[in-house]
Amino acid sequence: MRHRLLRLHALAFIKWRYLWTEEFVALLLALFVFAVPAYAATRLQERGLYMVSNEPGVTTSYTASFRYISPQAIGSVDMLFCVSPIPYEACVTPPGLDVSQATLSDQIGEMGYSILSKSTNHIILTRVPKVITSSDLSSYTFTNMVNPTDTTRSFSIRLRTHTTTDATGTQVDFGSIKGQVQTGTKLETQVPPMLLFCVAEEVTEGCTSTNDTYYANMGQLSADSTLIAHSQMAVGTNASGGFAITANGTPMSAGTNVIDPLATPTASKQGENQFGINLVANNDPAVGSNPEGTFANAVASPDYGIPNQYKYVPGDVVAFSPNVSLMKKFTVSYIVNSRPDLHAGVYTTTLTYIASGRF
Amino acid sequence: MKRFKSIVLVAVAVLLGAVYVLPAAPAAAQSSASMSIVPKKNYVIEPGKSVKDTLIIRNLDSAQPLQLSLRVVDFTFTDDGGTPKLMIADDAPQTTWSLRPFLNTPNSVTIEPGASKTINIEVKIPAKQGAGSYYSAIVYSSGASAGGNVGLSASGVTLVFASVPGQVKENLVLKKFGAYDSNTAATGSSGYMFLTDKEPQSLAYTLENGGNVTESPVGSITLKDMFGHERTINNVNPSGSLALIGQTRTYTACIKLAAQEVDFQGSKTTTNACTSAGLWPGYYHATLDLFYGQNGNNTQEVTGVASFWYLPLWFVIVVVVVLLGAAYVVWRIVNKVREMLYGPGHKKSLRRRK
Repeated sequence: MRHRLLRLHALAFIKWRYLWTEEFVALLLALFVFAVPAYAATRLQERGLYMVSNEPGVTTSYTASFRYISPQAIGSVDMLFCVSPIPYEACVTPPGLDVSQATLSDQIGEMGYSILSKSTNHIILTRVPKVITSSDLSSYTFTNMVNPTDTTRSFSIRLRTHTTTDATGTQVDFGSIKGQVQTGTKLETQVPPMLLFCVAEEVTEGCTSTNDTYYANMGQLSADSTLIAHSQMAVGTNASGGFAITANGTPMSAGTNVIDPLATPTASKQGENQFGINLVANNDPAVGSNPEGTFANAVASPDYGIPNQYKYVPGDVVAFSPNVSLMKKFTVSYIVNSRPDLHAGVYTTTLTYIASGRF
Repeated sequence: MKRFKSIVLVAVAVLLGAVYVLPAAPAAAQSSASMSIVPKKNYVIEPGKSVKDTLIIRNLDSAQPLQLSLRVVDFTFTDDGGTPKLMIADDAPQTTWSLRPFLNTPNSVTIEPGASKTINIEVKIPAKQGAGSYYSAIVYSSGASAGGNVGLSASGVTLVFASVPGQVKENLVLKKFGAYDSNTAATGSSGYMFLTDKEPQSLAYTLENGGNVTESPVGSITLKDMFGHERTINNVNPSGSLALIGQTRTYTACIKLAAQEVDFQGSKTTTNACTSAGLWPGYYHATLDLFYGQNGNNTQEVTGVASFWYLPLWFVIVVVVVLLGAAYVVWRIVNKVREMLYGPGHKKSLRRRK
């Protein structure tokens, strides 16, 4: 054992003596011992908020609950209402929120509080400082709280406990509670989300007119030629989540005979059974055109955006936008190839393009 | 009588001739396939209560009426993004989060060219329904055309979410966090990167939702470079995107957001896009602080740390050149010292004595 320790020492401090010394390592260890935080505020636990009504802009009651952690004397609780829950970030008052008329109507657990001060987004609870003895959940109910009006963003209550009675000095514990108003009241100032979509053989970018043709004749199947067709669709949305368009429908078939769709992006090849689509301009064969519209958010899906490569998997997303998108027009190109031994028949399919918002 | 017979025969002949000679027109009456719909609806409904609402559908086509059939289908997620996977098959099983039993819509609607129509819908939650999130989709389908090899049909979808308040199970688990390239992710690869030669424009975090409610986290990301400079991303979920039940969802947050106001159908709307944040090459450390929780439930917190190297090719070349230059300077100094100690042209190396 001693022999091993000597070898370790030799390896660590003799062979590498130019990199570190015993004195240096000792100093480093000493730093670890002394480098503890000056104070250690902990998070309040099981923090929660119950809003009796979470309709935007209404006057309602809030019950904020949490469990105190540090067994210290607590004389005040600071409640700051902000958009962001992060304590060190600047506090932006949630639009529409007003707690300046709040009344403390009920308290459970750690009690004896009253409201010391209140403003639009700030309440300070005070009491005679008392050591936290209970580990039970404490809750505080306030009436006359006016909800925020912005349904698109949540809001937060930044909590801090203090030993002082006026929420000054070093905080003891902290934590944030998240709340959100939802739906119900319609705000006249907001533009409701819309999704605009049209499909036809030819459409205008704004969907205001089409050529009212909802099918494509591709001609006579032959092993020596590629049948082509195209259709168009235009789409746009002001929804912040964007949109997605999927292509749905069975592959081309005549009775029980099916022309296999291309499961991966593949070049057109005469003499093979192939059915595929894409949404860009191609020259082999010459069909289709690139998406039209200046706005860059809406794009063809990667597998359907490769020139001269075709694919068709029912249910695939063929175009999407992750965000608001002005109107954009996509041209869908169709190609069909057939083997010489393909059974005779009229091969048809109906493709349904489904446009949806994103969640 | 003979004359009558000849008239009938001629009429039949003309009719048959017309059938054979005239081009075959599509059999079905044509409906427009141009629509404007509401993409998403959210409701909070207590058990035993109902909500009556309206949906506005607009026929964008100025020439043809829009004939739509309506049906309610379930949906889930397609991948780690926000694209719904609609269960449109007639025999699709009902999901555990289905709103189908509680959602009433009309079966069809016809809208005149260029006009709008308001349809009534109702969501009715049974008295004993448990708390949680319920969602389904209303699919509006234009009729399929008869004729041709490829028939075309258009459908629009409204996603309907209903939240039933009460004590719910909430559990978001952080799976990944780091610098992210959306373009790489779109090709099917993981968009996360630890070492990159392109300036990262966004950070992302992937959360697994193991609860029985949809979640929409909020919070911030702090990004620190190797010299201690900090920048904070205050809104890490600007679109209020949801993680569906059972979904592992990736959220992206721009390091620098470029907001642009655009005109959409006569009204102003804001669109956001990531832009260059002007990051310098080097090592970056990021911390994530997320909050989530439903009304009346505990606020939960998720934290995470990540790091990445941004090393563009020009920077690597500059570093190599600088190192080579420094090595050359050292070599020249060593040679100078040799010359000073041993005189010019001395070949003896400066080796330590044994």
